[in-house]
Amino acid sequence: MDLFAAAASTAVLGKGLMIGLGFIGPAIGIGLIGGNYLSAVGRNPEAAKFFGQALVFVAIVELFGLLAFASTFIVK
Amino acid sequence: MNALISRFADSGPAIHVAPAGVFHLGGVAISNSVLYGWIAGLIITTFLVIVARKVTVRPKGGAMQFIEAGADFISGLVENAFDDRKRGRKYVPFFVTLFFFILLNNWFGLIPGVGEAFHRGDNPLLRPFTADLNGTFAMGIVTMIYVYASSIRESGGLKRYFAHFFVGSPLNPLYFIIGILEMLTDLTRVFSLSLRLFLNVTIGEIVIAVFSYLGHVAAPLTALPFTLVELFIGALQAYIFTVLSVMYLAIAVNHAGHHADEVEDIDAHVLTPEPTAHSKSPKGSTA
Repeated sequence: MDLFAAAASTAVLGKGLMIGLGFIGPAIGIGLIGGNYLSAVGRNPEAAKFFGQALVFVAIVELFGLLAFASTFIVK
Repeated sequence: MNALISRFADSGPAIHVAPAGVFHLGGVAISNSVLYGWIAGLIITTFLVIVARKVTVRPKGGAMQFIEAGADFISGLVENAFDDRKRGRKYVPFFVTLFFFILLNNWFGLIPGVGEAFHRGDNPLLRPFTADLNGTFAMGIVTMIYVYASSIRESGGLKRYFAHFFVGSPLNPLYFIIGILEMLTDLTRVFSLSLRLFLNVTIGEIVIAVFSYLGHVAAPLTALPFTLVELFIGALQAYIFTVLSVMYLAIAVNHAGHHADEVEDIDAHVLTPEPTAHSKSPKGSTA
């Protein structure tokens, strides 16, 4: 137990869980956006001009992962 | 064993998330990010003024071509966001400035020597301006004040500006609550804009610090791929910051253009109830 207390305190575990779980959602979301964008381009190559809009949605989704990361600094 | 694990837990890459004061100027602590922000701002201004003096009709190439391409790209983007291209044209200078300021500040942060390389006391001497929440928050506030002021001016008065938050008459309780929520959502944009930029740049700094720590002797080799990724992400974040603020402005301005005539008869709406769906389409009951 002493070993764990030295290396892995509950705060460290909590931070790891926060980052790990918090990044799952945005990862799935960005995957969906990218996959749907590519399938749209596959069906209709004209849709390729909406790449900028796809990036904007990636930025919106990504923010939630970044918020999870930012919250780890609150955990002491 | 115990000592080994605790040594690994204790020693790690040096990571700083918050800026730290470097020196005092008339009683005000100047932090490392502000110092580097000044340096970067001076260099950016000088560079862009020199480029602007040299602009010719026939493109010359080199650094000028890069600036011209960026300015052209952003001005096309701003003009296309508005229904009326001429209306969008006067907002081009601000957004082009914003784009280049963020882009070059992000890239200046990746120059070797910025970050953990030089220390003054315990704190790094230089820190990229966009890796400081105060800096990005200031940028977000300035941008959103500009956006609000322009959209109020475009919609022609405060009353009309606030009217566009409401789908229908504000006296209807449902529309009223939705309108208030809409206003609150509007205020969170400052935070989402500044937090996104700050966290992306800071995470990039941390990732580079971690991988140059892991690489030890071969630090340049291990950190190089992530530095290249950060070059791309820095450009992407500058683009996203600009596009989102252009969109916030364009939504309000375009909306104001459509609603300009409707606002007057808000009171008329309240007094004379709209014809309901039932009275309009008797087919609905039979189907």
